[in-house]
Amino acid sequence: MRRMLSRTDLDALVRDLLGAGTRVIAPVRRKVQGREFVEYAPVQNPEEIALDGSQPVRPLKQVVFPPTETLFNYKQDKGLVQIQEAPTTFSDTLVIGARPCDAAALEIVDRVMDWDYHDEFWFGHRQATTVVAVACTDSDESCFCTAVGLSPESTRGADWLLIPAGSSFEVRVVTPKGEALLESNKSRCPESDVPEAGKASSAVEEKVRANLAMNPAKLQEWLGAHFEHPLWQKIALRCHGCGACAFVCPTCHCFDIVDELEGVGRGARRRNWDACQPALFTLHGSGHNPRKDQSARFRQRVMHKFSIYPSRFGEILCTGCGRCIRVCAAGMDLIAILAEIGQNAEEAGSTL
Amino acid sequence: MNLYQPNLVRIDEIIEETADTRTLKLSFQDPEIAEGFDFKAGQFGEYSVFGAGECTFCIASSPTRKGYIEASFKSVGKVTQAMRRLNVGDTMGFRGPYGNHFPIDEMKGKNVVFIAGGIGLAPVRCVIWNTLDLRDQFKDLTIIYGARSVSDLVYKRELQEWGNRSDVKLYQCVDPGGETPDWTGDVCFVPALVEKAAPAPQDSYAVVCGPPIVISLTLPLLEKMGFAPERIYTTLENRMKCGLGKCGRCNVGPVYVCKDGPVFTSAQLKTLPPEY
Repeated sequence: MRRMLSRTDLDALVRDLLGAGTRVIAPVRRKVQGREFVEYAPVQNPEEIALDGSQPVRPLKQVVFPPTETLFNYKQDKGLVQIQEAPTTFSDTLVIGARPCDAAALEIVDRVMDWDYHDEFWFGHRQATTVVAVACTDSDESCFCTAVGLSPESTRGADWLLIPAGSSFEVRVVTPKGEALLESNKSRCPESDVPEAGKASSAVEEKVRANLAMNPAKLQEWLGAHFEHPLWQKIALRCHGCGACAFVCPTCHCFDIVDELEGVGRGARRRNWDACQPALFTLHGSGHNPRKDQSARFRQRVMHKFSIYPSRFGEILCTGCGRCIRVCAAGMDLIAILAEIGQNAEEAGSTL
Repeated sequence: MNLYQPNLVRIDEIIEETADTRTLKLSFQDPEIAEGFDFKAGQFGEYSVFGAGECTFCIASSPTRKGYIEASFKSVGKVTQAMRRLNVGDTMGFRGPYGNHFPIDEMKGKNVVFIAGGIGLAPVRCVIWNTLDLRDQFKDLTIIYGARSVSDLVYKRELQEWGNRSDVKLYQCVDPGGETPDWTGDVCFVPALVEKAAPAPQDSYAVVCGPPIVISLTLPLLEKMGFAPERIYTTLENRMKCGLGKCGRCNVGPVYVCKDGPVFTSAQLKTLPPEY
């Protein structure tokens, strides 16, 4: 038996939660200077929610990892300092219409945020946030989630997965948090004995699969053994080092910690998104920079995602969302890069 | 109190080491934290000036000296310049201790050779005082230290004290051109001084810290002299922000310097790419 949820009931569910004071975040359509796009944003009205649109330009990570977050405030008077703690519990948030690649990223980044030290901010947001993902009904030439072990119907990181079926959605409950959401909305999600109308997203999955095929284990092995390789210079030649790829990446989580003055004798310490591509990222006070050129910095990006993080946490730090490819002004194409590295790995494998 | 919130410390004393290097002696404002605070030689902390930001330094004092910590720093950036403007009695922030440490217990009963260049003496000084404060538990202790010039030598009073002690051997040098007429030490680079001092590799540990050039020349030299790579220790000073393995800044290959280090052996460094 499958549970179904109509769009009308979904809207009612959203209206209920908005009425109860829950922050609801969903893909909404935007038009800026004639250019249309979709982005995750707080909604006031369920009609704003665009579940059939294209992928939001920025990832969902901003909901649990804001671009700037206050760690604490301070007051200073004649050398004496008072610290005012920042809250690490947050108001309830429901995300409707998360892309599976964005939802999965949350679970993947959980690993590092819980590594020996528990990041109260990340997990504070995580705990407050219920994620309802929606299976993809479309993809483009930059999508490659299937190459990193995910799919357009992946439930990872989601509390519910909605699978579009005509004008309704099939509801897949994934987590206890999802159970709780179902419990308060049971009458809206009646059981239906309509047989599954074939895998709705199988056509999408085929399309994504055609973009990139790779063997992550082999890739990881090759990367581990090829820190030095002419490929790195060649790949990075066109990279400007702007870091846009990291800012739109759902899994990139590097941050900077800075103090910002907010008046005489008071201010806040904040963490802000940072990126490993600009040279400043690793520059020492002495002037020495361990990553001396763009090839070293781009290599770090690839290594961190496909070698370091997998060897440390057993997860690829990439969900194949393709945003880094779409956003790059220089045309750096991670699909082409992974394909080339994969080919090197294949050739190395055959000569072993 | 979250992970990123520092404890407040008071500047008790400021020691001018050189024209651009200072040591701050700090104590925790909260007596409970002061009482409970402990660390191991080689660990580091995040020191902050409110309004300027945070900076990463090792703890330069020894864990055997209770009730305070010391930080030695060169003014090179925004935070260290702000630290230079502070006075005795001012408040700073401290988070830590973080990272791994030198194997003091393992070194007991063995010879220890300390080799440092410039401000690199700060983390080594922590281990030096740790071993000197437990002097009877170690065999021969040798300190080999060099700086660019006589005026760049840090901890001058302590160098004098170590030089006067009979239970520790001290070798000092300055780079050619950095000597003064009354300089009695050697005039050469640190690796040459190591060769001259020729510490015995048997039953010995080496603790090395200095600018990248000193590390990259001294580690192979020690191995050539017969030191086991597993017993040559150094500490990497990569740029860090969180110190907690989250912010993604200090990676050297698969290693997070803040969590897996900052202390590494020469044997470990050989398995890492040269990104430090």
